[in-house]
Amino acid sequence: MKTDDLMLMAYVDGELAPDESQEVEMQIRASSEAAELVRLLQASRLDYKAAFATQDLPPVPESLTRKIEAMARAHSAGNLAPGANDPSVPTPSVTSASAPVRSRLRTVPTWLAAACVAGAFVGGLFLRPGTLPLLNPGMPNSGNAAMASTGVSPWVTAAVGYQQLYTRDTVAYADANPAATSKIIDDIHRDDGLALRIPDLSSAGLTFKAVRRLHFNNKPLVQIVYLPEKGPPIALCVTKGAKADQAIASQVVDTMHVVTWRQAELSYALIGKTEGVDLDALGKRISNREVDRLFGDATLEVPALAG
Amino acid sequence: MNGADLPGMLPEMLPRLWAFALRISGDQHDAEDLVQRACVRALERAHQLQPDTSPLSWMFSIVHSTWINELRARSVRKRSSMEWDDDFLENVADPVDKGPETQLMHGQIISAVERLPEAQRVVMLLVAVEGLSYQEAADVLEVPIGTIMSRLSRARQAVGALFGTPDPNPRASATRKDSIA
Repeated sequence: MKTDDLMLMAYVDGELAPDESQEVEMQIRASSEAAELVRLLQASRLDYKAAFATQDLPPVPESLTRKIEAMARAHSAGNLAPGANDPSVPTPSVTSASAPVRSRLRTVPTWLAAACVAGAFVGGLFLRPGTLPLLNPGMPNSGNAAMASTGVSPWVTAAVGYQQLYTRDTVAYADANPAATSKIIDDIHRDDGLALRIPDLSSAGLTFKAVRRLHFNNKPLVQIVYLPEKGPPIALCVTKGAKADQAIASQVVDTMHVVTWRQAELSYALIGKTEGVDLDALGKRISNREVDRLFGDATLEVPALAG
Repeated sequence: MNGADLPGMLPEMLPRLWAFALRISGDQHDAEDLVQRACVRALERAHQLQPDTSPLSWMFSIVHSTWINELRARSVRKRSSMEWDDDFLENVADPVDKGPETQLMHGQIISAVERLPEAQRVVMLLVAVEGLSYQEAADVLEVPIGTIMSRLSRARQAVGALFGTPDPNPRASATRKDSIA
């Protein structure tokens, strides 16, 4: 594209200084090509905004609106005081005709249930287990039934739902920044009071990608994300669990495999899809401290001791 | 304005994100997935949103890059106008309070933009329809501002050829005018 063309466009749009405009006008008089370009550009001065505003687009699907609202609420739950400015959980209209069937089936809604559960707690509401199936119309045998029957903790449900949003793309460019990670871990130890260690799972083919501080029901929830060689990311989620230690238990929550245990007043949930990774065995190795601590002890020794 | 405000802003931005996603993907189901994935990515990176960056432009950027990645994943090099899903474009005119001539004109404008090459079409959507500045559009598409202006100029010449009064010295534009629906 020639600079002249851009000048002509600026001229047509009245964006040139008077002397520049005069220069362009001389050019137009001297060049039929320039005159033709100006004619075309002037003809292109149309009210595109108004035209597209009248475009008969399908409305935002209700299902999408609900998902985004729930997602936003779940994301900011840790920053909100309970009940503060939090709208009530949208009651899903299970018979919403506008929700595309294909999309609904393709987008597994457990995360939505989880986000709504989180939102309900934040909003001071409680979603009874019996209401959960309403969030998952047309899929009566999905994970919600399993969740209810196996008594999965709400925080695990929320973590599973959150994890279901992850794809490999989500963490594709997440660099494990040792300095920042050390700082985060330091904060986790000091502020969150969670004396956790970041397991090195490279022997299982898992690359550490990130550690994130989340909140569930105003309690710290740490998510440690690993990327396997194939398939979506796997997360080790940890929160306080001031109850007796609990042995490893394995279950399937919707499409996700979840291995849970409780140890030294920390509750763990290893969450992922079992594509080439034996999460049960991995959970045992982590709980038995058979894996190394990541980043080397030198990096984390101080915060670990502080925690 | 920073990333901490983003969750609260997403629902408000949703209609524009939805429209943009629909227009670049041309498919309702793709658009729904696209918006959802873009919002997830945005929330994950909310801390990267700079105070001097328009959250809407930033979201457009994520929607666009998510879509480009999706196309790459599908090994689709380019979406030609022939592949456009006309389901939601068949009735482009809003019948409310608009005369038939205005309706026709609006329909022709939309049609003209939709027929542009993809790179030019997206620039037109961002600048002429969404009202982004050249610099914001450059940020969204991660190209130099000069590229934005070049694409815009070419796009407008193509649209102008469809809408301009016939040149006394007929050119290609005279024949292209017939293609307006």
